[in-house]
Amino acid sequence: MLYFINDIITGALIGLLYSLVAMGFVVIYRASKVFNFAQGELVIIGGFIVWFTTMQLGLSLWLSIPLSLILAGLVGYAIERIFLTKLIGESVFSMVMVTVGLLILLRGLVLLLFGPAVRPFPIIFPLKPLFLGDMLIPMNLLLGGIITIVAAVGLSWFFNRTRSGLRMTAVAEDHVVASSMGISVKGSIAFAWVLGAILSTIGAMIFLSGKSLTFLASDIGFAALPVALFAGLESIGGLILAGVIIGVAQSLTTNYLDPLIGGSLGSVVPYIIMLAILLIRPTGLFGWRTIERV
Amino acid sequence: MSYHTKRGLRGLLTAAALAVAASMPMKAQAETTYNLALLSDFSGPYADIMPVLAGGREAVFTWWNETRGKEIGVTLNYKNYETRYDAAQVASLWPGIKSELDPIAVVGLGGPDVAALAERLPEDKIPMFMATAAYGYAWQPESWIFNPRPTYSHESAGFLNWMREQRGGDGPLKVAILASEASPAYVDMAKGLELYAEEHPDEIDLVEVIYTEVQPTDLTGQMRRVVRAGTEALIIQTNTSIVVAAKRGLQANGANIPIMMSSHNGLPASGGALGGLEQLEGDFEAYGMAIAADEDTPARQFYETLVADHGLEAPWNVVTAMGVSQALYIVAVIDHAIEANGVEGLTGEMVREALFAKPITTEETHGFLPTLTFTPEAPFPLEGLKVNVGTVKDGKITIEATGVDVPDVKKW
Repeated sequence: MLYFINDIITGALIGLLYSLVAMGFVVIYRASKVFNFAQGELVIIGGFIVWFTTMQLGLSLWLSIPLSLILAGLVGYAIERIFLTKLIGESVFSMVMVTVGLLILLRGLVLLLFGPAVRPFPIIFPLKPLFLGDMLIPMNLLLGGIITIVAAVGLSWFFNRTRSGLRMTAVAEDHVVASSMGISVKGSIAFAWVLGAILSTIGAMIFLSGKSLTFLASDIGFAALPVALFAGLESIGGLILAGVIIGVAQSLTTNYLDPLIGGSLGSVVPYIIMLAILLIRPTGLFGWRTIERV
Repeated sequence: MSYHTKRGLRGLLTAAALAVAASMPMKAQAETTYNLALLSDFSGPYADIMPVLAGGREAVFTWWNETRGKEIGVTLNYKNYETRYDAAQVASLWPGIKSELDPIAVVGLGGPDVAALAERLPEDKIPMFMATAAYGYAWQPESWIFNPRPTYSHESAGFLNWMREQRGGDGPLKVAILASEASPAYVDMAKGLELYAEEHPDEIDLVEVIYTEVQPTDLTGQMRRVVRAGTEALIIQTNTSIVVAAKRGLQANGANIPIMMSSHNGLPASGGALGGLEQLEGDFEAYGMAIAADEDTPARQFYETLVADHGLEAPWNVVTAMGVSQALYIVAVIDHAIEANGVEGLTGEMVREALFAKPITTEETHGFLPTLTFTPEAPFPLEGLKVNVGTVKDGKITIEATGVDVPDVKKW
């Protein structure tokens, strides 16, 4: 029974990591209605920035982490300025296609700038797990879970309670209308990309702490996708619940069903849950229902 | 200088140039060139090891051209094609490769090449030679794709039997496999060993096969199960990221179960990804090829020759050894084909026939591979199979065992 509870806790914490990466999807979507297919690649870029400042420049973690977050923010800003700002007012489809191109471009850039070698990622969180009696909780996931909840609370407050956050929501509704009301569409979207890149870098630190860094790490973007769609692409608070549900379901499947069937059902379960919920409720658990008057 | 002197000098130079030019076509006529298509992955999942592997392959072709090739007037011309380790990419490139190069052999890299070309090569009558161990799904008679090593499952079964003997006692060795469903090859590696364990319960007690992602989020829970089951060896023949995640999972559980890796995710690659070889102290790599350790072996001596005289820049490690061994058995087969058919008019079909006609001795591959006797029954030699075992001792890779017998693994 103790191990069962332990598996639930670990699953919930892995789910929270997915929620953090999914937050990047949601922040960008809320500001621009653009689904960023290159979210996993932003995680890699963030990871390589952390690796570079820590392992290459030899900076201490206290210096390299804030510096990496600033650099990641600048990368997000640059991406928006170079590739997306000119598409404001164009169809959302065009912007989404740009993110698909971005996915390929960022992979190529990583190879070009850092080379293909598998690198050891710095140990950001202690490797020693937390022992609660016979239960064992990985420290990176535990601290990552706390960071995710704090980030979700902060961002929910920002989007729902501050003028800047509400402006971003207005931008997502309609670029032209928001612009005519004096809201800086460019500024809002740029800010969303900065935020998305920073969240991805935090996700990379939790995900890769003490492990290895390659461009395979971008797969976490796809792992976070069911969480984002399950929660509904507009809800930051909903990501926490969706992440926990998907993480726990995945953990229990991996630990109890996979050994019986001799396969990897655990990696498919998040998508099954996502499809099931989308069939019942296409906007996701907490997505906005839009009523259009014609 | 007067006009006449200039004119005379010009005439002399022209005559000399003509003489040189006249001698050149004769040399060109005497030299026969055959083409080899090298399938490579410089930007896909194996991009990290590809430059080193390619360096090993190309240095051997250069060595052969400068030594044996020069003697008999044959040049092996080669060209790399970027496949991104993607079967679709290989399939789309192949018609172009064939028309551009008309190769007598293809130098393959991995599973996607096999998947894409298994049906086409028999029609085109061009053999493909791999560097890796073989795959169960490609274990068919009358193949046109060949591996110098048995299947990954043969290699892991050989290692486990050796480990059980080292341990002593009567009971079977408790083993867990970490695999991934991301690639058919990864699943195949696990399935073969699963079958062997089923049929040999006195040798191997397979406690669990764990399937995970190629970059796992966390394996602490899975490793806890493995530790609780009393596992004595962990087989990971997939990639370095899974080795790293498993090692971290074991460390979190305060356990140190020996991990066996293969050549493509071996000790140097996984040690590098973990931040140091010392983290893999007591772990193993096992495969049917020379171990790239510090010891002075014939393989090491040949590597030094390639570095000193033939421009090899790759370091001495398992990946370089893979490239070198692959190219060595290819040039040996081509040599046999030339011996049997003469220098002129060699075809892919003749090269394949030469593979079955005569064994490739371990001397011909400078100790990189055991003596290989291919038959039409399988894409790899079915007899005389051996594996070598390397480990990390005091932070250095050392040879733990050589010529370990590979058991008879049934086709799955």
